[in-house]
Amino acid sequence: MPGPFDKPEGNWWDEPVNRREGMWLGIAGVWSLAIFGWMSGFTRFGDQNPVGETYEVDPSEYRETVQAYIDEADENEEGHIIPPGDSVYIGAFRFNWDGLPVVLEAGQEYDIHLGAYDVQHGFSIRPEHSLSQQINLQILPDTEWVIPMSFDDPGTYHVICNEFCGQGHNSMHGTLYVEEP
Amino acid sequence: MVATLSQLFDNDYDEEGFRTCSVTGLEIHRTAENHVKLFGLTAVVAMVVGGIFAITVAMTRWELIGLIGEANYYRHLSMHAWNLLIFWLVFMEIAILYVGGPMVLGRRLPLTKVAKAGWVTMVAGALGINYFIWTASGAEVAPLLTAYVPLNIPTGFFASAIVFLVGATIAAVPFLATIWKEKRWGTDDTLPLVTFGAFITSIIAVQAILGGIAAFSYGLVWKVGIIETINSGAYRTLFWTIGHGSQQINLLAMITVWYFLTHVVGGAVVVSEKVSRSAFILYLFFINLGAAHHLMADPALGVGWKLFNTSYAFYGAAFASMIHAFAIPAGLEAGRRQRGLGGGLFGWLTSAPWRNPVFSATIFSIILFGFVGGITGVLMGQLQLNITWHNTFATVGHFHATVAVGTTLAFMGLVFFVIQTMFRRDFVSGTLASLVPYFYAGAMGIATLAMIYLGILYGVPRRTSSVVRNIPGADFSISAAAPLMSLFGVFAVLAILAGVLFLLVALGSLLFGARLERGDDAGLRPDGGLTPDGGKPVHAVDMRGTFAMCLIFMATFVVLYVLNWFLLVQLWSIGA
Repeated sequence: MPGPFDKPEGNWWDEPVNRREGMWLGIAGVWSLAIFGWMSGFTRFGDQNPVGETYEVDPSEYRETVQAYIDEADENEEGHIIPPGDSVYIGAFRFNWDGLPVVLEAGQEYDIHLGAYDVQHGFSIRPEHSLSQQINLQILPDTEWVIPMSFDDPGTYHVICNEFCGQGHNSMHGTLYVEEP
Repeated sequence: MVATLSQLFDNDYDEEGFRTCSVTGLEIHRTAENHVKLFGLTAVVAMVVGGIFAITVAMTRWELIGLIGEANYYRHLSMHAWNLLIFWLVFMEIAILYVGGPMVLGRRLPLTKVAKAGWVTMVAGALGINYFIWTASGAEVAPLLTAYVPLNIPTGFFASAIVFLVGATIAAVPFLATIWKEKRWGTDDTLPLVTFGAFITSIIAVQAILGGIAAFSYGLVWKVGIIETINSGAYRTLFWTIGHGSQQINLLAMITVWYFLTHVVGGAVVVSEKVSRSAFILYLFFINLGAAHHLMADPALGVGWKLFNTSYAFYGAAFASMIHAFAIPAGLEAGRRQRGLGGGLFGWLTSAPWRNPVFSATIFSIILFGFVGGITGVLMGQLQLNITWHNTFATVGHFHATVAVGTTLAFMGLVFFVIQTMFRRDFVSGTLASLVPYFYAGAMGIATLAMIYLGILYGVPRRTSSVVRNIPGADFSISAAAPLMSLFGVFAVLAILAGVLFLLVALGSLLFGARLERGDDAGLRPDGGLTPDGGKPVHAVDMRGTFAMCLIFMATFVVLYVLNWFLLVQLWSIGA
């Protein structure tokens, strides 16, 4: 019987394969295709896909866009931003979030614009009432990413930066309030 | 001291510099053996350095202890990452190339000056990286593993990283020359499976290294002002060819070591050359696409690109891993059944040499890598599931399952093997040596699972010094995760202690272990020799134990897959 140090002799390619090994190849092959099929299909029929329009943008231009949006927006009594339309702009910078806190309505679809003014950041968001419902998106300083989102449950959603952005990174926190319409 | 060191590099060689290994039966030349020792010992030194920083990093993340503040945390994390994830493993992998090439083929190591030049260059790069991480100050920050631009990373760091990668390429040249000589002037025979695996590893490594040199050069020319702006998305794509590619080198080297060690201490055979080699070929084409896993939550890449790459082209490489997951245990089962070692479904496994740390380290590495590291890797690599994993502590759990449990454990077994077969020293304590794999696999395994749950169920992020007990300036923290974080902390301490025990046994045996006499196999050889004679052809041997284990693996995979998707669809609506 050959070991892994031995040079295999004769026509080793045509040696038969053990019956159970053959069955395993079939099971593993089918599973591989199945999980590819599911992932691919979910981009068509699923509700949770990290997919949206992207635009190349200069960080200072993005900052101006976010500022113009904030100027146009209303504020509630606590000073939280109420977006003027369906677009919500969030600008990450060391070590805070422009455009947050923001107040959104449950059930309404918003276009969430994500971008950064300086270095890379991470958009990590979860509702206070259910920490396991969390998602994480990368934010780049040269790209504006428009991801549609509609929040089903009212509540306080916390955003923390989960990409290392420099000394002070661990204090980078923002809030998103989702209210009943 | 010098005498002790020079003794470490000596053995009973014949006039031509060869000796016959009493365990493997291989003809080993002095040049190959001494360079394996050189790279292997350097790897262990890197492990000591990285291990020291494992203490400060883990004890900071366990915020109850909160050992160092944010100011130093990133520096320590960078030291931990580079020394363990890169230096410990890459130095070991060069050693593995020299084992898989010249040693298995019974040749001298050619171009020994090139090998030494490679070592010197790698050491210079590694020292530079450590220096620039440690001295980053003022406006400059520590790079962590990734040096994500446009963070202000020390210029010397980028330069040192390039030097290290060039050094690893130089060090691989003597191995490639060995294969060249074997095929050019040797016989027309097929390469042994271990050599073939090492050869594929070297090609994967060259791909990864070229990507790394491109990434760090891009960073360097931007830092020194030759180009004014740098595209962070393009850097990320380049970086991950080495960032993840380096871990694919680990994977292939580890699988080669699995075939090697299950054979020499367990008596495994190759159940199908065709199937195992085809799996390596699948790796050759597809494994490096896995770098895309890091870019699933990135804005700047298209969906089609993401789906093709993150699936390693329709899961071609995951399929390859599942092939090895059958072939390696089946080799053990077939080899042992042919010798009549154990009946029933799992008798061949229960009768195996479990007190031998080389064997137990290898088997725990296979099981934990597959069940924890492998499955989580595929899960987090799915485009949509990735948004629940990206940059969370669960990601850290995944790569501790692959690298800290899987690869490190296999390489610990290999270090023990090298101590006995090449340094020819017996363990200072056989009992403590036997304990190491159980202690390390148990503690690190639980610490790893805790990290995964902390990330997935509580959304605890990676790369931060405080988030569970306190987010500075915020009235929110992930305090619900505190009990599980304490579990993580306790088992991280135990895992570090297990690592210390490994080092004590390894270094103690090198310095104070009894010299093994010529012909003494230190009890390593499997019962009935390396390969059984005669009997049924290998494909006709019963492999139902392995098949049962693989079905358990698949059931676990399916359950975890469904659970992860179930968690995902609980989320609000995201994306176009």
